Amino acid sequence: MSILYDEGQQAIATESRRVLDARVSKDRLLKLLEQVGEHDQPFWDTAVEQGWTALAIPEEHGGLGLGLIELGLVAVATGAATAGAPFLSFSYGAAQALLGSGHADLAATWLPKLASGEAIGTVAFAEGSAALPPRPATTYAGGKLSGTKPAVVGALKADFAVVWASHEGRPALVLADLASAARTPVSGFDNSRLYADLAFDGTPATLLADGDAAVALARDVLGRMAVVTAHEQVGGADALLHIARDYAVTRRAFGQLIGAFQSIKHRIAEMYGVVEIARANCIHAASREGQADFLLAAADARISATEAYDTASRDCVQIHGGIGVTWEQGLHLHMRRARSLAIELGNLYFWEDLLVEQLTGEAA
Amino acid sequence: MSDLDAYRAKARAWLESMAPKYGRAARRGMTEEQELALGREFQAIKYEAGYAGINWPVEIGGQGLTHLHKVAYDTEEMRFGMPTVFFGISLGMPVPILIRYGMGENKEHFAWVKERVIKALRGEEIWCQLFSEPAGGSDLAGLRTRAEPEGNGWKMNGQKVWTSWAHYSDYGVIVVRTDPTVEKHKGLTYFWVDMRAKGVDVRPIKLAGGDSHVNEVFFDDVRLEDSQRMSPVGGGFGVALTTLMIERYIATDSGGFGPHLDVFVDLMKGLEINGQPALKDGRVRQQIARNHAMRAGLDSITARAFAMMQAGMEPGPEGSLQKLVAVRSRQKLSELALDLRGNLAFDFDPHAHVKEDWGTSWLNAPTGRIAGGSDEVLLNTIAERVLGLPQDHRPDKGVPFNQIPA
Repeated sequence: MSILYDEGQQAIATESRRVLDARVSKDRLLKLLEQVGEHDQPFWDTAVEQGWTALAIPEEHGGLGLGLIELGLVAVATGAATAGAPFLSFSYGAAQALLGSGHADLAATWLPKLASGEAIGTVAFAEGSAALPPRPATTYAGGKLSGTKPAVVGALKADFAVVWASHEGRPALVLADLASAARTPVSGFDNSRLYADLAFDGTPATLLADGDAAVALARDVLGRMAVVTAHEQVGGADALLHIARDYAVTRRAFGQLIGAFQSIKHRIAEMYGVVEIARANCIHAASREGQADFLLAAADARISATEAYDTASRDCVQIHGGIGVTWEQGLHLHMRRARSLAIELGNLYFWEDLLVEQLTGEAA
Repeated sequence: MSDLDAYRAKARAWLESMAPKYGRAARRGMTEEQELALGREFQAIKYEAGYAGINWPVEIGGQGLTHLHKVAYDTEEMRFGMPTVFFGISLGMPVPILIRYGMGENKEHFAWVKERVIKALRGEEIWCQLFSEPAGGSDLAGLRTRAEPEGNGWKMNGQKVWTSWAHYSDYGVIVVRTDPTVEKHKGLTYFWVDMRAKGVDVRPIKLAGGDSHVNEVFFDDVRLEDSQRMSPVGGGFGVALTTLMIERYIATDSGGFGPHLDVFVDLMKGLEINGQPALKDGRVRQQIARNHAMRAGLDSITARAFAMMQAGMEPGPEGSLQKLVAVRSRQKLSELALDLRGNLAFDFDPHAHVKEDWGTSWLNAPTGRIAGGSDEVLLNTIAERVLGLPQDHRPDKGVPFNQIPA
């Protein structure tokens, strides 16, 4: 099963790409790599101005009431641009956690602010090297949250976080206002992701879900964010495919265009293959939002998109030779982003295990 | 339910009613000759039921429906493993080309063509496609079989190879060289040939997997009438390309025409690794997940192409990935399935069906990566046609065929 984009969706795709092409500056992104705690404000202003923050928020909460398909199309454009802020996918995840929890008052408080871009949310599930640890060490009791979450995406600028914690020995999702949490910046290889260690020490928090409901909600949120991120990965991979192609029809060696050598052209054709397979999975997964097979489709999209972006960033640099590894040329923006996106929502092993569990019922 | 969905449901119900007698399970243990006889019988019933020549014009014996109806039917039929393999090439390429190019300038051969078409649709006659040669496989235009003018017709000499089902064929379509003094592509002409004619010698080739569905075909002073010519003299390469492209979107199989992933999962459910269920093993899980993600992507590409055709749009070029990606995956997964069975894998039945059995799937997988466009040719096609990359360096370009350096 799959879908064809309608005219409105196609317009979102072309318009978001056009706006970002005009406004994103490689020089600015390169500078951000060496600054801790800074994101690309002009990009974020654009996202708010274009209404991307409101896309997937229900109309009753001040949003546009669209869904994963539309947000995915914007993510393809932000991925191609290696956009300098992580808020679109992480605020979306936080919003979905609030909606899924059924907490009408919290949704009414935060969602309009997320839609208008006035507030930023994030999701803090991982601990240690685990994306969704079965028994998180962060604990929630009596309305207070304690523990540490390492390198949370967007944490340096987020107003609140949806946190994966333990509650009376069972998993739980809670909402914590980050005004009273300690944030320690993490200096990393992709600094506009705004990573920070979050330390909670009796921080006031609200229970969103616990036990099996928390597991199901956390997986649904991860699945949704993974589909957005997979679109972003496809956008990045597709951009690299075209950069590689354009270089191969410009650069000459041994008396001919390097694109005439099969070692180069086959590498680029293989890149096309992984990109189109991932794109097809993304389109399908976005169309399965809310269906029983959604997590399976999300895992297909996530796995193939991670493979596509990694393959494209390796091979595009390789095809460029020496110029590909220079700071100024900037392919490393994609190489860095491919890595951060591959890890942020759970690495390939996590999604492979989840996929097989969905397919066979057998947990890892 | 759309018209097409209704058509598909009706076809499925009809196929279900036919499966007990003609389906894969009903044919276990049959020889190829027995399967062919049953296949001809099924093909005749299929014609009577209106499922043969689905998208061909009514006036030539077809059903006059759309290409989508045909893809829908074929997709359903593939599930049942009906004995139609002998007619796949015949009805897929040579006969449609005969309809398009075999009528003569003023349709003077219409009645003869129609008779051939109906006999082919009913499985009474089979056509083969005589393209590849020892000196020209991927490099089709490098072929050397030649036809020289003789009286008001032609005299043909040479050799073709890898010709599927030639040993059962009544007719064939063939590309030959009629002028070696011009560029390789420009000296070719397209004919049909009577496979029972004097001087035609068909010799089966036994393949690595043990079966012999392909042949060498030798031509020794074979007489061709000029009325058998299906292209202008020197215009054969164009018709050959049309033959290869005639149906860009055919029913595909993300399993690479080998076992589907659920067959692998079922196998894993019965196996242990280090005393643990195989499905708990991370390496096995990784293989299942990677293959699932890849095949799901191919399935979504197919579904989207189908939806585009339904909407009257031209599907994107990503459909060209199907065979390339799927057959490679089948080859590796088949190796793994055998390995994981350990010594139990050594028990091998060369006649087991490739969609159900890892042994025959593995042993016949290389054929899939070579036939119908090798992996390398497909990659070149994607690179050049889809991505606009330059052609390979070609020392034979612009050189008369008989002066190409050996």
